[in-house]
Amino acid sequence: MNMRSLLMLTMLVAPPLAAQPYDTPPPPGAPRPVAIAPPAVQTLSNGLRVIVAERRGLPLVTAELVVRSGAEADPAALSGLADLTAGLLTKGTATRTAPQIAQSAEALGGQLDSGAGWNRSFVLMTVTRPRLAEALALIADVVRNPRFAADELERARRLAIDGLSVALAQPGTLSRLAANRAAFGASSYGHPTGGTPAALARVKRADVIALHAQRYRPDNATLIFTGDIDAGEALALAQAAFGRWARPATPLSASPVTAARPVVRTPVAIAMAAAGQAGVTLAAPAIARTAPDYYAGVVANAVLGSGYSSRLNQEIRIKRGLSYGVSSQLDARRDGGVFTVAAQTKNPSATEVASVMLTQIARTRSEATPADELDARKLTVIGAVSRRFETTEDLAATIASLEANGVDPAEMTRVIGKLGAVTASEVQAFANAHWGAGAFNVVIAGDAPLFIDALRAAFPDVVVIPQAGVDLDRATLRR
Amino acid sequence: MKASRIVSWNGFIAMRLCFPSWSSAILLVLASWHALAVPLDVRPLEFRERVLANGLRVVTLEDHSSPTVSVQMWYEVGGKDDPAGRSGFAHLFEHMMFKSTKNLAAEQFDRMTEDVGGNNNASTGDDVTNYFSTVPSNHLERLLWAEAERLQNLNVVDENFRSERAVVQEEYRQRVLASPYGRFYESMAPRSYTTHPYKRGVIGNIDELEAASVDDVRAFHRTYYRPDNAILIVTGDFDQKELDAWIDRYFGSIPKPSTPIPRVTAVEPPRTRAAGYRETGPNVPLPAVALTWLAPSARSPDAAALKVAAALLGNGESSRINQALVYRGQIAQKASFGTDLRVDTGLLIAYAIASKDTLPAKLVAALKKEIDALARAPVSAAELDKVKTQLLTQALIERQTPLGKGMALGEAIVVLGDARRVNRELADLQAVTAADVQRVVRKYLIDAPAVTIEYAQQAKS
Repeated sequence: MNMRSLLMLTMLVAPPLAAQPYDTPPPPGAPRPVAIAPPAVQTLSNGLRVIVAERRGLPLVTAELVVRSGAEADPAALSGLADLTAGLLTKGTATRTAPQIAQSAEALGGQLDSGAGWNRSFVLMTVTRPRLAEALALIADVVRNPRFAADELERARRLAIDGLSVALAQPGTLSRLAANRAAFGASSYGHPTGGTPAALARVKRADVIALHAQRYRPDNATLIFTGDIDAGEALALAQAAFGRWARPATPLSASPVTAARPVVRTPVAIAMAAAGQAGVTLAAPAIARTAPDYYAGVVANAVLGSGYSSRLNQEIRIKRGLSYGVSSQLDARRDGGVFTVAAQTKNPSATEVASVMLTQIARTRSEATPADELDARKLTVIGAVSRRFETTEDLAATIASLEANGVDPAEMTRVIGKLGAVTASEVQAFANAHWGAGAFNVVIAGDAPLFIDALRAAFPDVVVIPQAGVDLDRATLRR
Repeated sequence: MKASRIVSWNGFIAMRLCFPSWSSAILLVLASWHALAVPLDVRPLEFRERVLANGLRVVTLEDHSSPTVSVQMWYEVGGKDDPAGRSGFAHLFEHMMFKSTKNLAAEQFDRMTEDVGGNNNASTGDDVTNYFSTVPSNHLERLLWAEAERLQNLNVVDENFRSERAVVQEEYRQRVLASPYGRFYESMAPRSYTTHPYKRGVIGNIDELEAASVDDVRAFHRTYYRPDNAILIVTGDFDQKELDAWIDRYFGSIPKPSTPIPRVTAVEPPRTRAAGYRETGPNVPLPAVALTWLAPSARSPDAAALKVAAALLGNGESSRINQALVYRGQIAQKASFGTDLRVDTGLLIAYAIASKDTLPAKLVAALKKEIDALARAPVSAAELDKVKTQLLTQALIERQTPLGKGMALGEAIVVLGDARRVNRELADLQAVTAADVQRVVRKYLIDAPAVTIEYAQQAKS
């Protein structure tokens, strides 16, 4: 790994030398570099990629099977299909019932998790090293031989719909999902990955079986091991569990993602009676993970809204006391992405929070980030990246994300160097290219009578939609 | 951030329920029932302990697996010590510890952690307030200086106090008012305790937060933030000799006040009768129920058996309550059981969020049925072994980082009363028998009265 940029940055923010040991902090010592080895990548004869990142110290291994297709492949009328399908994998196989699978997994000490996100579906488990072979056999069974029994589909559907009724009662969650839809319009990245109650009600068993047949195949999958294991041991385990997983003769069909095409551009207020706070979200279409300015975007995001000392948190939380926390996120996916700024605040402050967000975004366009601030924000994000190498689960998640987004997993050894090299002019150029005044979709969900007058004064075009009238399956957001 | 980990009822499920640790025994034989039982080589946490002349307890653990170090200060003060009429104050105070001191500007802690590639946070629980930073290890000495500085020289100004108090009020709104089940979780402590100040909870309420002043901050700091009420924990990449010298240098000269530290003396009396309450909220998609019982102290010899019983009932998808209510019965969207063991009397809580069209009374009966079954028949060796393996694995996962190791040590010292418990607790859990489980379930759940809380949508106006 290239640690030099990190070391140089560390020196740049060193304080003046301490004259009085007790009234000023002592200077930092010499940095101690860390080496991150590139993960080992191997391929079985059926096309399954096997990736191993060793991390010794504790007898733990995370094993994760990633299918490189996910919610982006959901048909427009069936949002949530990929997530529901992944969830059903662990609910019965040819030889085991759902309770038997849960029992087997938990007797190994782990928890068998499965689900789907953008460009990925996954099954994963963390166990102690002696239990790994059995855990992997279980993962292989649920991936290759799921039963998709009708009664399990009904049970999963009910649970998912009940879960959505809870999630959508939170103003922050509703505003985020609606803003994501507003930013993407009818694009296949626009719906909630967990689906909507109406779409989940439409899913038939045949839809689940067809998705599994199309997407769950060794040449569309990666098996990741992280922790107390080396590449040779991992390959032998992978071969034993997945070596006979046949690659279908038919070519893998692409799951094309349609480009973002927002159709709702005015601010939207979702009226939630008696909501305890307002959820304020701004969302704009963003770049793909492979875009050349991705790292400039990560640093721009760190300056604006990622981490405690970002500008948004300084202005909204620290200076004005308007929120417990505000943050922004660059969600760069395989074929595009979304940039989101979000906070919860007391209802009467909703408009002020949205205005401060827009003002701070404009500042990143008009001014270059001062050198000391840029260095600090780069180190903040570099530190956050480095800490993700400290646990087997975070390490596996890092590799899974690179695989899903079509990036060489060896990139994880280059991330810190690339972040360190980003300049202030690249940050400003990124903001001007992607964070234009018209790029952001503003959605506020909350107790509308408490903020609507102020919101209208600031945004005369605001459209009010009652909570019951929101349809996240539609680009217009409305039933 | 600051206090994103405030320990409330939904928080402790994550934090307190699964805080076992591994044994000092070198070999633990896992899954003795299993045909392929494999011994697992688990090393104990090899920490060092010492006490400075001013009473500061110091625990350190060297670990060079990453070039980072976790610096934690645990103060034995929490929500139970909130001044009268100032519910939520210990937590509000925790936020103020990131403001100015004699030699630090407001938020300079963030400059010394986040800006150099580290991070920081803090949390307030019923019994304890902890502050924890992780930094690249070449910044360790600076962090020790800064922790000693805010222990001695806190100097909050009114303007910073007002804006941060507003932040804490937003935190209250976010956790309690805007979350569909926030009011439900917040009702547990006041409905479960009659006497102990635990009954106020940690987060407080808007009015009592509003009544707090900078003078309250000064008095609280003077009363509780003193070396003989604190534990310094350092875990990660350091040189022991160098670290010891720095600790002596920055903390050794802090005077120990001559006044005694005020302690809560109230004792929660045994619960004599069952009670039922109905709570409502404005946006409750599905009704929920909770059953609570009083629990012995976390330091009780029965604690290990209660943790195993809780895991049998509520840990994971295969747990009894999940299987009965969510999977087989399909009457709950979510259902579990947790222990909230504290320094003084704790709580045992069974809860469920209903599935659509299920009446709360049905959930209460189903939860009680599972608890009764656990008391009636001894658990099988296989099921008992399953939860012990789960608890061991979860402990290992928790302790991969310097932060996780320090947290385990702090919990052992403050809640369990002895740092060495960090290495003894897993052995205690492994030693729990089926008969122990039956005995504690009878004693604390079957033969003790429950408080029942039903939570539902309030009538629409």
